[in-house]
Amino acid sequence: MDQFLQLIVAGLATGAIYALAAIGFTLVWQTSQTINFAQGEFVMLPAILVLTAAHVGLPMWLAFIVGSAAFILLFGFGFKRFLVEPMQRHGVLPLAIATMALSVLIKEAAKNGFSAEAQHFPSLVPDGSVSFLGAAVSARDIAIFVVAVAAILGLQAFITRTRTGRTMQATAQNPTVARILGVPVERMILLTFLINAALALIASYLISPVYLAKFSNGETIGLAAFIAAIVGGFNQIRGALAGGFLIGLIDNLAAAYVSSAYRAAVPLVVLVVVILVKPEGLLGRKEERTV
Amino acid sequence: MTAPASAHPILTLSNVVAGYGKMTILNGTSFSVPRGSITTVIGPNGAGKSTVFKTIFGLLNAREGSVTFDGRDVTNRPPRDLLEAGICYVPQGRNIFPELSVRHNIELGTVAAGRGLTDLPARIEAALDRFPILRKKADQQASTLSGGQQKQLEIVRGLLLDPKLILIDEPSIGLSPMMVAETFQILLEQRDKGVSVLMIEQNARSALAMSDYGLVLELGQTRMFDDAPAILADPRVGQLFLGGSLAEKSEAA
Repeated sequence: MDQFLQLIVAGLATGAIYALAAIGFTLVWQTSQTINFAQGEFVMLPAILVLTAAHVGLPMWLAFIVGSAAFILLFGFGFKRFLVEPMQRHGVLPLAIATMALSVLIKEAAKNGFSAEAQHFPSLVPDGSVSFLGAAVSARDIAIFVVAVAAILGLQAFITRTRTGRTMQATAQNPTVARILGVPVERMILLTFLINAALALIASYLISPVYLAKFSNGETIGLAAFIAAIVGGFNQIRGALAGGFLIGLIDNLAAAYVSSAYRAAVPLVVLVVVILVKPEGLLGRKEERTV
Repeated sequence: MTAPASAHPILTLSNVVAGYGKMTILNGTSFSVPRGSITTVIGPNGAGKSTVFKTIFGLLNAREGSVTFDGRDVTNRPPRDLLEAGICYVPQGRNIFPELSVRHNIELGTVAAGRGLTDLPARIEAALDRFPILRKKADQQASTLSGGQQKQLEIVRGLLLDPKLILIDEPSIGLSPMMVAETFQILLEQRDKGVSVLMIEQNARSALAMSDYGLVLELGQTRMFDDAPAILADPRVGQLFLGGSLAEKSEAA
């Protein structure tokens, strides 16, 4: 029972990370039909940038600020301006392939420019365990869960309770009509890219103390976030949230009870089953396209 | 053109050329819309009716010619500028944000006014009061509205910023006769308040019956412009909709 509870908490923590990445993934898809295959690398990179800044001699607090600012500028604004915009007119697929190229580029740049070895990343929460329903669970897992959920709730509040957030939703749901009503559509799309970068940044700072900062971290996270987004329903934030937690839980439970060798395969099985049974995702809506 | 005298038209197109890619749809379109009246645009499929609206509203670039609104040149201005100038555009079909509430859909009609609009909540409440069904469903998703109710929402949303000119494309499509009558009623009310309306209608007979002027567009050019009853009574109009070409007829005449 103790082990089960620990696994659940660990699963929720992993799931919250996946959810952060999956929500960003969904947002940029909704507003600009960008399937970002570099999403995993987006989660890997901020930690590397912070360590690089610290490496050149900046104090840790300043390294965090510099690394964060550089990441948001490059992969929030720059990503939209210099990769998505030029590629968009060629269609969804060329753009998706360009993001694949970007993912390889980021990974190799991190490996060659920083380090091929896993590096320690400072944790904001002390190591140790706390008692939860009688079981000793990792304090770090709880902290990850709490911070990620707070970020998601904050985002949800922004999207539903502010005029800017609702204008952003409108842009995602019907860009043509948004334009007719005078919505600055391009600015709204840029906003989703900035939010995506911010979510990736949070995920990076939460997960890197656990898995260490390494150039290849994005592979697992990117795949999990992609599966989470599809399982939950590609066009729904709450779908990405549910999908993230589901994949995180399954991931951890499968590693313990099925086989750690096959842990990576289990989410894929879930993906196949969902696509066969409910192709629009667990919480998704069917999309209609006129031809 | 045999246009009725209108000293200060609200909108004037002169020799507008526009199209999609290599295809030219508007071949030097010219007409004037009289102020404070309802003008209905009719014409066969492919005549360029919707294209005219898109060009006026800055969604499609005019390659040549000019669009003048209320005495100002507004050729190829972006939609936001035209909204600020006092034009609203209600396109064909469904133009709502299905997953936002009815209230928030209406609220989006004021985006172009920016933060300057101080009486925004009052305007939204007034709009909801005008249509009890929208009031009743104010906090539900807009996708729960029927087709006619969605059209009402679109019109109310367009009216929030007190436009001087309404461009409305095929408002009656897919609506029940009762809903069509209600929709026309809203446009008549606006006309009586001094707002100008330019409407495209497939349902030419009933649209012309409630309009002040009629405009016949064919192959991207204005063929006729006259008082609505005169257009309605013209035998050539009937022929036009039965497949004949107006250009040949008028040349023959």
